[in-house]
Amino acid sequence: MEYDPMIMDTEATGPSVKITEAGSHHVDFELQGVDLAFANSLRRVILAEVPIMAIDLVEFSANTSVLADEFIAHRLGLVPLNSKNVDDVAYSRDCDLCNDRCENCSVTLSLHARCTGDDIMRVYARDLVVDGGRANQWVGAPVITDPEGLGTVICKLRKGQELNVKCIAKKGIAKEHAKWAPTSAVGFEYDPHNKLRHTDLWFEEDATKEWPKSKYADWEEPPQEGEPFDYDAVPERFYFEVESVGNLEPDAIIQQGIKVLQQKLALVLQTVTEGEGGDANGMNGADDYNNGPRSPDTGMNGSGWQADAGYTTPGYGGGNASTWGAGAATPYGATPYGQNHSNGWS
Amino acid sequence: MPPKKKASAAGPVEVSASKAAAAENTGETEAGGQDAGTDNTKRKRTRTTKAAAKNESDTHKGDDSFSALLEPFYGGKSLTDPINTAEDKWNLLPAFLKVKGLVKQHIDSFNFFIEHEIKEIVRANRRVTSDVDASFFLEYTGIRVGEPERLDYDDRRPQNEITPNECRLRDMTYAAPIRVDIRYMRGKVIVGRKNIAIGRMPIMLRSSKCRLSGKNDRQMAHMNECALDPGGYFIVNGTEKVILVQEQLSKNRVIVEADPKKGMVSASVTSSTHERKSKSYVMMKKERIYLQHNILTEAVPIVIVLKAMGIQSDHEMLLLVAGTDSTYQDEFAVNFEEASRLKIFSQQQALDHIGSKVKMGGRNKAQGAPQRRNHISDGLEALANIIITHVPVVGLDFRPKALYVCFMVRRVLMAMHDPSLVDDRDYVGNKRLELAGQLLSLLFEDLFKKFNVDLKINIDKVLKKQNRAMEFDAFNHMQSHGNYITLGMNRAISTGNWSVKRFKMERAGVTHVLSRLSYISALGMMTRISSQFEKTRKVSGPRALQPSQFGMLCPSDTPEGEACGLVKNLALMTHITTNDDDEPVKKLVSALGVEDIISMSGKEIYEAGAYVVFVNGTPLALTRQPKDFLNSFRKYRRMGRVSEFVSIFINHHTNSVHIATDEGRICRPLIVVDNGKSKVTKRSLEALRRGLMNFDDFLHRGIIEYVDVNEENDSNIALYEKEINPTTTHLEIEPFTILGAVAGLIPYPHHNQSPRNTYQCAMGKQAIGVIAYNQLSRIDTLLYLMVYPQQPMVKTRTIELIHYDKLPAGQNATVAVMSYSGYDIEDALVLNKASCDRGFGRCQVFRKYATQIRSYANKSSDRLVSPVPDEKNKGLPSKKHAILTHEGLAHVGEKIVAGQVFINKETPANTMSTGIGSDFGSNDFKPAPMTYKLHDFSYIDKIMVSQTENEIMVVKVQTRQTRRPELGDKFSSRHGQKGVVGIIGNQEDMPFADSGVTPDIIMNPHGFPSRMTVGKMLELLSGKAGVLNGTLEYGTAFGGSNVDDMGEILVKNGFSYSGKDFVTSGITGESLPAYIFFGPIYYQKLKHMVQDKMHSRSRGPLAILTRQPTEGRSRDGGLRLGEMERDCLIAYGASQLLLERLMLSSDAHQVDIWVVPDVQEHEGCDEDDDAICGQVVGTGVAEYERVGET
Repeated sequence: MEYDPMIMDTEATGPSVKITEAGSHHVDFELQGVDLAFANSLRRVILAEVPIMAIDLVEFSANTSVLADEFIAHRLGLVPLNSKNVDDVAYSRDCDLCNDRCENCSVTLSLHARCTGDDIMRVYARDLVVDGGRANQWVGAPVITDPEGLGTVICKLRKGQELNVKCIAKKGIAKEHAKWAPTSAVGFEYDPHNKLRHTDLWFEEDATKEWPKSKYADWEEPPQEGEPFDYDAVPERFYFEVESVGNLEPDAIIQQGIKVLQQKLALVLQTVTEGEGGDANGMNGADDYNNGPRSPDTGMNGSGWQADAGYTTPGYGGGNASTWGAGAATPYGATPYGQNHSNGWS
Repeated sequence: MPPKKKASAAGPVEVSASKAAAAENTGETEAGGQDAGTDNTKRKRTRTTKAAAKNESDTHKGDDSFSALLEPFYGGKSLTDPINTAEDKWNLLPAFLKVKGLVKQHIDSFNFFIEHEIKEIVRANRRVTSDVDASFFLEYTGIRVGEPERLDYDDRRPQNEITPNECRLRDMTYAAPIRVDIRYMRGKVIVGRKNIAIGRMPIMLRSSKCRLSGKNDRQMAHMNECALDPGGYFIVNGTEKVILVQEQLSKNRVIVEADPKKGMVSASVTSSTHERKSKSYVMMKKERIYLQHNILTEAVPIVIVLKAMGIQSDHEMLLLVAGTDSTYQDEFAVNFEEASRLKIFSQQQALDHIGSKVKMGGRNKAQGAPQRRNHISDGLEALANIIITHVPVVGLDFRPKALYVCFMVRRVLMAMHDPSLVDDRDYVGNKRLELAGQLLSLLFEDLFKKFNVDLKINIDKVLKKQNRAMEFDAFNHMQSHGNYITLGMNRAISTGNWSVKRFKMERAGVTHVLSRLSYISALGMMTRISSQFEKTRKVSGPRALQPSQFGMLCPSDTPEGEACGLVKNLALMTHITTNDDDEPVKKLVSALGVEDIISMSGKEIYEAGAYVVFVNGTPLALTRQPKDFLNSFRKYRRMGRVSEFVSIFINHHTNSVHIATDEGRICRPLIVVDNGKSKVTKRSLEALRRGLMNFDDFLHRGIIEYVDVNEENDSNIALYEKEINPTTTHLEIEPFTILGAVAGLIPYPHHNQSPRNTYQCAMGKQAIGVIAYNQLSRIDTLLYLMVYPQQPMVKTRTIELIHYDKLPAGQNATVAVMSYSGYDIEDALVLNKASCDRGFGRCQVFRKYATQIRSYANKSSDRLVSPVPDEKNKGLPSKKHAILTHEGLAHVGEKIVAGQVFINKETPANTMSTGIGSDFGSNDFKPAPMTYKLHDFSYIDKIMVSQTENEIMVVKVQTRQTRRPELGDKFSSRHGQKGVVGIIGNQEDMPFADSGVTPDIIMNPHGFPSRMTVGKMLELLSGKAGVLNGTLEYGTAFGGSNVDDMGEILVKNGFSYSGKDFVTSGITGESLPAYIFFGPIYYQKLKHMVQDKMHSRSRGPLAILTRQPTEGRSRDGGLRLGEMERDCLIAYGASQLLLERLMLSSDAHQVDIWVVPDVQEHEGCDEDDDAICGQVVGTGVAEYERVGET
C-alpha cells in the first residue's frame, strides 16, 4: 500500500470548521481536516496562551475589612476584565513608552468602598472603576454578566469598614497565572464510536449499556457489525466546546488562539531559517523568545531582594541578613562570633 | 493603668494604624495610613445581626443558629413528613447533644464539683479551733463560687465581668471568686460574716458559672467567642488548658487477680474516702489465705483477721466464707490451723496479734499520743479506720466489714476453684474515669485544709499573746493569706502537676494545652482519655480493643506508636456519671422487700437461689428473687425515683446483684424495649419534632435510659428495630454512635480497612481549616487557616452534629485516579497549577511574638523607642528599622523580612540597683529589640498592647504569611491516604474529560490495592453523584447514600455508573486507553509544609561547648552525617571524604594562643607587650606566627 505522509496537506479541501452552536459565552464547533496534534495544539493555546487583561498589582491605601490584603488581592486578580482588542495593549515588560507602566501597557482601576449603614455591605466587581486612560475603550472594565449588573463579590464590609485600593491590570497569559485564562474549560473530543480503538472500552457486561453515548455519536457513522478494523485510520473530526470566562468573545478566543499558534510557528521557522546562516550559537532564540507572549515579570519595581546573587528563593527574600548571622544564635544566646545581639546589618 | 476592655476608646489599647501592604505577587507598597478599626467587638456584632436574622426564619423557636442546627429533624425533613420510627429515631441524637453538648462530661463534672462537691468539702472541714483558747472557733456556714470577674474588683466600675477572650488576649486567668460565709468568736460574741473571698477558682468555659452559659449566638459573638466552641477547658495565664480524662481501676470494688507463675490468687480493693486512700489484699499464698495491707508489716492470716472482727466461732466463719459447699469448706479449713498454732482463739488475742504487726507510722507519734498505746488498741484502730476504710465501722460494730472480708475470701476461693472467675482488669466496667471536677475537688480539699491549718497556726500565735492591743478578729487573718488557694489552683492547672499531700499523690501531665490547630483537634482533645499505665511496658492487654467498650469508647481514634491503645477517645453519646447519693438507693432497696445481710448466716447467704445485693461494692441485703428485684428496681429508676445514672445488673457467677451510684462510670443512652416493642413511638417522635418534648422528657418517661458498661453487658441490645425479639431489653439509638467525634468525619468508614480509619483520626487533627468563628480576634502562637475552606460533598451525620460543615478543614478536589508523569509514585500527588492559582490549598499562617514591658525594683522600666535616623540613609531609619513607627512598634500591614525589628525595646542597663538613696543606677539603656528571624517574609497582621493582671504591659505582634501549595506540601484525603505534592502540572497538560474538566489532583492508583480504602472510592462516587445532582450526599457509618442510587444518578447524567470517565491526554490530545476513576474527593491540607522544613547550610554557626556545628533548622544547623551514612562511606572506601566530613568540616577549630616570649631575647619585658600569637589548628598541627610589638 502506498503511504503518502503529505496527503493531508495536498488535499484540496484543507481544514474546515463547522459551528454547531454559538452563544455570547460559548461556541461549539467541529474542526475537520487537521491532524490530532494540530487540533490539540489549538486547544492548548486557547487554554494557556491567549493573552487577556487581569489585575496584577494592587496598592492598598485602606483595608479594614476582615480579609487580609493578600486575600483581597488574590480575589481581585481573579475578577475577569474585558479584554476586547487586547492587542492594542502592550505587554508591560515590552512597552517602549515607559519604564514602569503606562496607559499603553496597563489599565488602572480603583475601588473605594466604605460601609456606613448598619447592614453588611457587599463590594462587587462593578465597584471597580477604570481610572485614567487606556489603550482602547473596552479594555480593563470588569466583566459583568448577571442580570443585576453586580459582578462577582469581592468582599463584605460592616459598618465603619473601608476598602480603598488601586489596581493595575496588565496583559498576560494563563501559563503564568490562571487569572489570565480566557476560558474556563475547553471540551475536546473525537471518534465518538471509538472506531480507532484509542480507548479500551472496559465494561462488565455490555459496553453499549454501560457507557453512555457522547452527544456527537449521532454525527458519525456507527461502526457496522463485523466491520474490519482500519489500521490506517487517523482521527479527522474534532469536536470543540469553548466556553469563555467573559473577557473575550468566544470567536475572538479562537481567532486569537490561531494567531498565537501562528506566531509561535513563525518564531520556530524564523529561528530555524536564521540559524542556518546565522551566528555561531546556531540560534539567537534567546532574544526572540523574549518577544513572544509572556506575562509581566513580578517585582518590576526592583525591590531589594531581586538583587541578590541567587542565594535566596525569589519572592521570599531573606537575602538581607548575612547568610547565617540572623537566626543563628545558639541556645545560650551567643553566636560563634561572640555575643552579638545585633545581627546582619549593624 | 486600669485594664480596659479592648474595645474601649481610651488608652493605647490596640495599635493598628495600618499602613499599606503589598499585592498578590509584588513587593510594591504605598503608604496611606488610616485607622484600622480597633474594636473587634463591634465588628462582630453586626456580623451576627445578619446570622441571627437569617436563623430567625430557620427555626421556629427563633433563638439562634446553634440551637437551630441542633434542633432535631433539621436534616431535610419538614414538619409534615411521615415518621418512620426505625429511621427517624436517630433524631434522638441531636436532641441528646442539644441537652448535653459535645463535651458534656467535662462540664457536668465541673458543675457538680462547683455546685455540690465543694459544699461537701467545706462541710467536712467546717470548724477551725484553737489549741490555745478552747472557746474560740471559726465555722464555715456556706460556700459558693461566683461568676468570673476581674481580679482588681471595684465596686465603682460598671463592668467587672470578664470574657474568656479578654483573658486569652491579656494573659489572664479566667477565674471567679470563691466566697464563704463564716461564724466565729470575736472576744465573747459570735459574729457572722458573709461572702468573704478566700481565693479564686479557675472557671471551666461553658460551665454553669461561665459567662458563656445560656448565651445565644449573638451574645457569644458580642463577647468575641465562637458559638461552636465546645468549652470544657480553662484559661490560665492566657493559655487554654484541658484537664484530660484520666482512666483508673475502679475504687471500692473487689478485683480478683491471679498470678499463675506464683500460684497466687488475690482479691484486692482500693478503698477511697475523703480522708484516706489505701489498698487491701486478701490473697491465697501456699494454700493459706492472708490479709495484706500497707500498714501491716506482714500478711496476717485471714482467720485471725476475722476473729479480730468478732467472728469468734470457727463454724460461723466457715459458713460465712464457704457456705455449705464442701469443696470450699475443705479449701478454707486449713486456715484454722495457723490461728490455733499461734494460740489465737479470742477476739482479744487476735487484735493483739494484729496490733503487733501494725507499722507505727509517723502519724500516731506526731499527734503526741499520750503514751505508747497497746497492741490491742493499735489493732482496733487499724482494722476500724485504716484497712478497707470505705466500709465504715460505727460504734465498733465490725459485722459489715467482716462480711466484706468474707466475700473477698469467698471470691478468692471461687477463683481458685474456677480460674475463669478471675476478673479482667481491662474490662471497661472495672474502670472509672476521673474528670476535671474530681481532680479539682481533690486539689481544692487539700488546699482548703492547708488554708485552715495555716489559719489556725496564725490564730494560735495571736491568742498566745496575753495582752493584745486590739480585740482579736480572726477575719483579718483570713484575708492575709488569701492567695494560697488561688495560686495552688493556678499552678496545678498551668503546670499539670497534681500533688495531693494527704493521698501522697504526685501526678504530672494531667493538663495539656488545648491544641488549636483545627476545630477537630480541639474537639478531639476534649474527648481524650489518658490511661495511668506506663507507656513503656509492652503488655498488650491494656492496649487491646475491649469488646466491652462498644458504644462507649471510639474503636478507631487512638494514636499510633507508644501510646497506642492507652490513649482513647469517647464515643459520640458517651456520658460519664457524677456521684449520686446512695442513701435513697439503699432505702429503695429495702423497700423492695429484701433481707438485711447483717443478720444473715453463711448458710442463708450461700443458699441456692439467694442473691446478695451490693451497693457500690458493699454487701447490703439478700434477695431470693433477683430477677424480680432487678425489674422492679429498674421500673423505679425509669420512674425517676432514683437518679437515672444509677445502674443495676446481676452477676450470675457470683450470685449477686450490683447497684452502682459512684462517679466516673461510663454510660450511654439506649432506647428501652418493653415486651418486644421499642418504647419510641411515632407519637413521641412527633412530639420531639414539634419541640414539645426534649431528650430529658424521653428520659423521664422511661423511653430512654442510661446504661453503664456493666448493665450494658447484662442486657440484650438490638442494633435495629427489625432485630428486636422477645428477649431484647434495649435498642440502639444509632449504630454510628460507636464512633467518636473525630472518626465520625470519615465517610463510609465501614468500608475501610480499620487501621486507615485510625490514621485518619490522627491526620484529621492536623488539617488546616477554620478554627473557630473568633479565629481572627485571637492571637495564638501559631495559627493555620485555610483561605477557601469548603464543607465536604460527602458528609456524615456526625459532621452535621459536631458542625464540621460550619468549621471545615479541607476542599473538595476533583481527583483523577491515574498514573501521570512518574512524579506521582510512592503516594505523591500531582496538582493542577491552575487550581492552585485559583486558590486550591491556599492557607495563611499566623505567628505570635510577645514581649513584656517590665518595671524593675529601682523604679526603672523597659521602654519602646522610636527608630534612630540613619546618616547614610538621608536621615531615614536604616533598613533594619524601616517598618517601625515612632512608638517603636511595626506598622500594621507592613511587610517584614529577616533581620528587621518589629518591637524596638530597650531595657535599663542596671536593673539591680536598690533605688534607695543615691543608688539609682545609671540612666543608660541597652537595646533589646525583637527581630524577625524567619527566612521567609511576613506581613504584620495585628499589634496588641495591653496589661496583664499584674499590671505588666504586654505587647503582642501577630505576623501573617499567605502560602500557596508548593512541591512537598502534604495533603490527605479522609481515609488515611496521605501524600506530598510531587509536581505541579500546567492545566493544558492535564488529562481532561470530554467536557474539558481537568482534575485538581491526580492520585496514583497504587494507593488502593494494598490499603483497601474502599470508602474513598465510595466517597468519590457519592461526591460525583452529588455534584451532578446538586445535593450533598451522606457517607455516614453503617448507612449513608446507597451506591446503587449513586450509580443511577451518574447514569442519568450521562456518566458511567462506575464513576469512571473517558479521558483525553492533555499533552498529545489522544484519548487514554484506560478509563479513569474521576470525581470529587475531600482533601485536607496538613500542617506539614515544605517552607517550614526546608533547610541547608554550607558553613554556619558552631555550638559553644563542643565547637561542632549546631543542630536543627532553627539554629541554622549542620546536616548530620550519621552512623549509617558513615558506614556507607567506610564500606565504599571513601576515606578522604570521611576525613573531610568528620574532621575538617565538623571538628576542626582554630585557636589563638599566647606563647611566653623568649626570655633571653627580651629580658625584663612585660609579657603583654611582646607575645607570640599563634594559631593552633584543631587537627593537631600548630602554626606559629610572630606578632610584633603592640
